[in-house]
Amino acid sequence: MPDTVELRGIHKTYDHFVAVDHLSLDIREGSVYGLLGPNGAGKTSTIRMMIGITIPDEGEVRLFGEKFNRRQLDRVGYLPEERGLYKRMKVLDHLLFLGRLHGLSAAESRKRSLAWCERMQLSDWVHKKVEELSKGMQQKIQLVAALLHDPDLLILDEPFSGLDPSNAVMVKDVMVELKKAGKTILFSTHRMDQVERLCDSICLIDHGRNVLEGDLKKIKSSYGKNTVQMQYEGEPPFDHDEFIESVNNYGNYVELRLKPGADAQQLLRTACERARISRFELMEPSLEEIFIDTVKQHA
Amino acid sequence: MHNTWLVIRREYLERIRSKAFMIMTLLMPVFMASTILVPTFLSDMKSGVTRRIVLVASNTAIAEAVQQELTAPPKPSEQPLRPKDNSGSPAQSAKPRYAIDIDTNTSDAEREKLRGDISAGKIDGFLWLSDSDLAARKVVYNAKDVTDFGESIELRNAVHSAIVKQQLAQKGMNGAEVETVLKPIDFDSVRIEKGKEGASGIAVFLVSFTMVMLLYVNVLVYGFAVMRSIIEEKSSRIMEVLLSSVTAKQLLAGKIIGVGAVGLTQIIIWLAIAGAFSLPGVMASRSMMSNVHIPMSGILAFGVFFILGYFLYSTMYAALGSMVNSDAEAQQVQWPAMLPIIFAIMLATPVLQHPNSQLAFWTSMVPFFAPILMFVRIMAETPPVWQIALCIALMLLTTWGLLGLSSRIYRVGILMYGKRPTLPELRKWLRYAG
Repeated sequence: MPDTVELRGIHKTYDHFVAVDHLSLDIREGSVYGLLGPNGAGKTSTIRMMIGITIPDEGEVRLFGEKFNRRQLDRVGYLPEERGLYKRMKVLDHLLFLGRLHGLSAAESRKRSLAWCERMQLSDWVHKKVEELSKGMQQKIQLVAALLHDPDLLILDEPFSGLDPSNAVMVKDVMVELKKAGKTILFSTHRMDQVERLCDSICLIDHGRNVLEGDLKKIKSSYGKNTVQMQYEGEPPFDHDEFIESVNNYGNYVELRLKPGADAQQLLRTACERARISRFELMEPSLEEIFIDTVKQHA
Repeated sequence: MHNTWLVIRREYLERIRSKAFMIMTLLMPVFMASTILVPTFLSDMKSGVTRRIVLVASNTAIAEAVQQELTAPPKPSEQPLRPKDNSGSPAQSAKPRYAIDIDTNTSDAEREKLRGDISAGKIDGFLWLSDSDLAARKVVYNAKDVTDFGESIELRNAVHSAIVKQQLAQKGMNGAEVETVLKPIDFDSVRIEKGKEGASGIAVFLVSFTMVMLLYVNVLVYGFAVMRSIIEEKSSRIMEVLLSSVTAKQLLAGKIIGVGAVGLTQIIIWLAIAGAFSLPGVMASRSMMSNVHIPMSGILAFGVFFILGYFLYSTMYAALGSMVNSDAEAQQVQWPAMLPIIFAIMLATPVLQHPNSQLAFWTSMVPFFAPILMFVRIMAETPPVWQIALCIALMLLTTWGLLGLSSRIYRVGILMYGKRPTLPELRKWLRYAG
């Protein structure tokens, strides 16, 4: 079974700025794939080349096992980070227009738009103008627009930004459902907790390069159980140089990365002598730790 | 092709349904009609008012002659800007235009007194016809308001013809002979078209001028609409979504064709309204326009040159729109696209007066001027077919070239939200692969 997306050494330069630097990645069919990276790392540039909005200077894009061609776009749904709709158009007219651009007939486009709007609790708004809707509602409409033609590959750039918790759950449920239906989802975000909950595989991009890619579970286990989450009262009960590589203070608790070969039991014993410990957990590093660490290494 | 059609359809329907379109479409004919009809109407109204005028002259013969000129029923040919009354019963019969007193005291004191009378509103004005002034052939009319050119011309004509008649009579001519000598010549220049008489000169000028202005306004308005709609799509960030299913070229083509179709629709509506108003029954009483007819070839040329001019200018506006981020910025950069057409408008009058001159030929061959100037030439005196064909070919070629440049700028520009590009940056945009 060919991978849904294959990027082979794609490269894009704007003027003298290298936006994407010989980047390769593969997205397995039916997986939820997280595309991560700091601001300006080249995520959006990569996505744009993936769906032919811009053309790479070098390298090859393959979708669904074939070299990229525009006919494939009828199988791709795209929710860009930069969102926008025609403000003065009515919601239903707008969805019809976007659905038909993806090759649906007018009747089919209307039927699916109404069904999706029902599902996303937008039915009362379909005859209103876009400008009368709140930002969150406009965002759900854009998601509907990306889903209308039942795409096999769904590209969601920051799908949760600007959504309140109940709408975010609604969007998450849709994603889980689509994954069950065998769709491939490429999901780009800064929110590491969402990536940990939803993604099977990730790719971390920095300065246009693929710095870390693979199965999320494998990546995490490769770091081993070298991280301690600790909750305590009073002054920090540990010294930085003893066993500890790095400290990340979250306010309610601290996350410590142990030096290779350091003994966690030893750390617990010294900590107990200095303060009251209410929680001590040895675990795999969080994705956020891995993210910050990897970006630091490549800086 | 299907996608381009969908973009055209959206662009067209959204605009046609907008309130702005309806208001503009209905208001323009009202505006045009009022510029023609309101002055006529106003002078009709005023003819019902009697002006009280004092003729100051020591020579009563002159004063009486002038009085007679002013109170005699006007001859239609002397009132070119007033409507003819076909019913035959002069509207002026209700009230005389002037109530005239004659004053033989030409002293400075009397002049001061009359000035006081004007201020006090006792009289509307006085005409100073002292012997010395008449000898110097210089007459002064004092009045509270002297901005009514019609009245000034009427008074001047009256004084002039009174003096001429008096002098001719002194040379021994009798009244009938004087009338014959002074009978005005009805002069009209008539255009010869394919060996037949066509429209008269003044009519050609008026119609051409009106149509040229409409052409100019429409090319600019709809070119500007293309630019604004690109800016709107950029600032609302909808571009990204569209580009995931449509190419930049399809989007640009769809936009230009869609907006152009709206412009054409509006023009067709206007022509239909104009057609309805120029039906014989409606137009008969408004005789000023009754001898004006727009030849079919003119309407056809209007359509052709609107379309060609619109495509030429809207491709430039599209490029400008994709370079900027806001309407305010657009104001600053739109001059390169405005300048040529404004220049063409300034050349329109000389070309209309000498449609066959070297100037007319060469300027009408410049694609940026052609929509205005070739149209003017066709209206004034149909140029040889090869010239029209060459002009259209040049316009099409230029538009094609510009479209290539514009779509390259557009493709890059619509995804650039930062600052406006400098010229060297723009050159790089043109070279980007995509």
